[in-house]
Amino acid sequence: MARSSNLSSRSKVLVRRETRSAYLFLLPNMVFFIGFVVIPMILCIYTSFFDSTMGKDAKDIFIGFKNYAELWKDKIFLRSLKNTFVIVIVSVPAVCIFSLWVSAVIYKLKGPILSTFRCVFYLPVVTGSVAVTVVWKWMYNNYYGIFNYVGKGLGLIDKNINWLGDERFALWCIILILFTTSVGQPIVLYVSALGNVDTSLVEASEVDGATHFQQFWKIKWPLIMPTTLYILVITTINSFQCFALIQLLTSGGPNHSTDTVMYYIYYSAFKLYRYGYGNAMGVVLAIFIALLSALQFKLAKEK
Amino acid sequence: MNSDVKRTGIYKTISLIILVILAILFAFPLYWIVTGAFKTAASINATSPDWFPKEWVLDNFRKLFSKQTAPLWELGIPFSSKFTEDGNPIIFTAGPVVPAAIRWLVNTVFMAVMAMVLTCITAAMAGYALAKKRFKGQHLLFTLIVCAMALPKQVILIPLLREMSSLSLYNTIWAVIFPTVGWPFGVFLMKQFSEGVPGEMLEAARIDGAGEAKTFINIVLPMIKPGIGALAIFTFINSWNDYFMQLIMLNSTSKLTISLGIAKLQAENSTDFGLIMAGATLAAVPIIAIFIAFQKYFTQGIAMGAVKG
Amino acid sequence: MKKVTKKLMALGLSTAMALSLVACGSSPEPAQTQEAPAKEPETAPATEPEAPADNAAADTAESTEGSTSDLNASITLWTYPIGNWGDSATVDSLIASFNAAYPGVTVTVEYLDYTNGDDQVNTAIEGGQAPDIVMEGPERLVANWGARGLMVDLSDLFATEAGGEIYDSVESACKGADGKYYEYPLCMVAHCMAINQNIFEAADAMQYLDVENHTWTTENFLKAVQAVYDSGHENVAAIYCSGQGGDQGTRAIINNLYSSTFTNAEHTAYTADTPENIKALETLYAQDGINFDASINGGEEITLFRNGTLAMSFCWNAAQQTNTDNAAAGTTNNGDTILPMLFPSDDGKTELCGGIWGFGIFDNGDQAKIDAAKAFIDFICNEPSQVKESVKASTYFPVRPTLTGIYDGMETAETMDMFSTYFMPSMGDYYQVVPGWAEARTEWWNMLQRIGTGGDVTTEVGTFVTNANTAAGAGN
Repeated sequence: MARSSNLSSRSKVLVRRETRSAYLFLLPNMVFFIGFVVIPMILCIYTSFFDSTMGKDAKDIFIGFKNYAELWKDKIFLRSLKNTFVIVIVSVPAVCIFSLWVSAVIYKLKGPILSTFRCVFYLPVVTGSVAVTVVWKWMYNNYYGIFNYVGKGLGLIDKNINWLGDERFALWCIILILFTTSVGQPIVLYVSALGNVDTSLVEASEVDGATHFQQFWKIKWPLIMPTTLYILVITTINSFQCFALIQLLTSGGPNHSTDTVMYYIYYSAFKLYRYGYGNAMGVVLAIFIALLSALQFKLAKEK
Repeated sequence: MNSDVKRTGIYKTISLIILVILAILFAFPLYWIVTGAFKTAASINATSPDWFPKEWVLDNFRKLFSKQTAPLWELGIPFSSKFTEDGNPIIFTAGPVVPAAIRWLVNTVFMAVMAMVLTCITAAMAGYALAKKRFKGQHLLFTLIVCAMALPKQVILIPLLREMSSLSLYNTIWAVIFPTVGWPFGVFLMKQFSEGVPGEMLEAARIDGAGEAKTFINIVLPMIKPGIGALAIFTFINSWNDYFMQLIMLNSTSKLTISLGIAKLQAENSTDFGLIMAGATLAAVPIIAIFIAFQKYFTQGIAMGAVKG
Repeated sequence: MKKVTKKLMALGLSTAMALSLVACGSSPEPAQTQEAPAKEPETAPATEPEAPADNAAADTAESTEGSTSDLNASITLWTYPIGNWGDSATVDSLIASFNAAYPGVTVTVEYLDYTNGDDQVNTAIEGGQAPDIVMEGPERLVANWGARGLMVDLSDLFATEAGGEIYDSVESACKGADGKYYEYPLCMVAHCMAINQNIFEAADAMQYLDVENHTWTTENFLKAVQAVYDSGHENVAAIYCSGQGGDQGTRAIINNLYSSTFTNAEHTAYTADTPENIKALETLYAQDGINFDASINGGEEITLFRNGTLAMSFCWNAAQQTNTDNAAAGTTNNGDTILPMLFPSDDGKTELCGGIWGFGIFDNGDQAKIDAAKAFIDFICNEPSQVKESVKASTYFPVRPTLTGIYDGMETAETMDMFSTYFMPSMGDYYQVVPGWAEARTEWWNMLQRIGTGGDVTTEVGTFVTNANTAAGAGN
């Protein structure tokens, strides 16, 4: 190579070369990332300051923070925000605890039995959200759904319950479906994490006379902590993204009791033709999620 | 000690029994889909349900396949309308005319495989650059990627729709594939995997005079292969199951995916559950077959993604 | 300092990429090209935008002479399930006859449903691929998309001989607030209700209705519902409200029960908060056997009625009565007789909600397509040899008095006659063209849901009227 050149200029050449090759490696992905994620994000923030609607002569009118101000007065938005958080707060811990329990029971079982269990709990994930949703819609049906039949047969309910048409139940019905489609992955993760726990540590504690309970909390729990955090993060993101269930089952009803922010954005855009307003909602939600993720990352770092 | 063992024994037995019951409950919806697809209309709408079809009929599938038809395969080249003289996209068509439901399946497979391949290639390259290269803007880019990862897609639906429209990609399968490829999770995962590639090996390759491309293909790729496998599985399942992006971006009957197709069936036939279950069976059975056949890789891949993610 | 430059660089880089992407992608003309063959407006002879009326008339003349037009374009037609216009076999045959006269025009059809159809059209509009022709009623074509300036003015079609024959009430429903016509109508119907006669007979409830004239009073209606409920039939009827599908039925039962109105006569404001309407809602809510069901829409209610779960349907019309998808016409799935009825009214004068369906053209900025679309509408609705088939496909009634005997010789002739004798005369005011209609519809089913879950009727109706009237004001 250029032996005559001095060190600093050589390193400059190297740096430049490295930078160039890095950009080249990044380029294919960045076209998609910048083009279909970053630019829409910027446009989303931009449009959220406008009164934007559908129509040939409709002009976007700049209205500053009015969309944002209106959000906090919009009862439906506040309700959908509340519903979104209810879904997240209920389903995330439920999914974590349930999958941890299932994994703890099955991870020592023999190979084929273990994989059968794991497979069964993973089935709702691979079946696909829409296929799962339509069958649940049938099972919840007021007139010939299986829930009412079984409920009445067992004497749990004495009259048909309109599961999805009743404000008291609809959201919980949705959370239940979300739950069944969310536990598959965490179980797979926990089983593998528990299987990787060093057996010598466990055996040593047994010699020391630790109970099963102590063993779990003192030895296994800290070791699977990274897995737990990862599960927390993905389940939170998943729960926030719950849309198909709501669009296909209740369209946010009855009386907005199952509206989530996700669905309300769609609703504002394509039923009320308020694009700017929908975008403002999107920005607010993104901020919430960013805060939550930051919190979880911080927790992860402390560990 | 003895009583403790006994107690754990009882605890274990009870847990197992509960677990078996739960497993049955979890498998039930799938069972209900598949049996429902073969039930008669009377059996479907009975107030006291038939736990097992008394009579297996193919009526529902016949009805499903008697709906609209479409050519088996049809593919528009992205952006091609920008370059042709008359402004029409270049479209390849192949295969016989089949029921639309079959076409939906073909579309879904194409979409999922294409998204998977593109994601794996671009994310592996970008992940490697992020992990092993020093360049200007690295920190900012990485922050951007992490931030975008948590963002739900619905948030950007309106701008994305307008963008696809101005790119003439609206109502093409590419409008669903491209945002999936752009989703930064893949890059993040690949970065984590690439960190594990020892710098000395890269240095050695460089000293041997290997070019950038060669180093990447011969040294880096083999080492991050398990990661790519994990990412492939993730992307495939996610894009197969995604519904939202498809709902916004696709419109014509011949361009729908199977998820959208079932949703459309449900909207059109509201309570004809037999027909809807036939559609759901068509959607669920292939992917479940793939899953069972590759179960080992799936579970390994998922677990691996978590360790590095 | 260094960090700042770093960041700036990255920003610059991403912007550059972004720009290059947008640059290669941005399309200069608003018109979105579809999968159409080459279209050069100047080669199409019948494209004279200055004289579209003559043009349409000329087309008619041309095709009646049996010659074929060399109009050349590829257009898309989206239909809502209006009778058999939602059935591909029927529509294909209609298009085949159109293509016999216009071989150069390719028509691609998409079938919409009432649950997601609106969203589908709206995303397509925003995606730049609105259909060329859409088939629906004035509440969508005129009050919504027309009012937003997305549709083409169809005055020239009304100027034809056939167009002049259209009933005045129908014609005025197709006219927007700006005086332009955004829909050219093909067919219409009066929406009514229906009962399961066998269930009523078993409950000894037939005494409450006038079978001959298909009428009943409010008092007798409530007695009948009670009788059926008491006979052990738990679900007599449902005020369905999961969405807007079939909402004309819930509006009609509520407005007719104590003879009130939904909007003012000028079609400028919503009046659903009259004491009569409130009383009707309270009565329905209190009545045994009538459920406010937020899990079903009109289509699902019909299914439940057909399979015997419900004893009556509020979402009925002639097409439902002649439907043979599941069982013989006029019977439920298990063979019970279905008796169509007028909505009950306390003053003996029922106002049925009308349905008008026809075609509108989206302005996609391509004159060749617009001309082809007009030729299509003209052929389907005006061509004497074709129009009867087109109306027959809808299973509804024509919008012109000169078109008679459409169903002659068909099995359904008698039923259709019965509907024109007893039901069509009760067709009420077509009020669905009030500004802000799309928003008001949404508010309506939301209001029913709130009442169904125990909301105070007066308050909830008040909220509905306030919101709907806000939309009506804003919609201008």
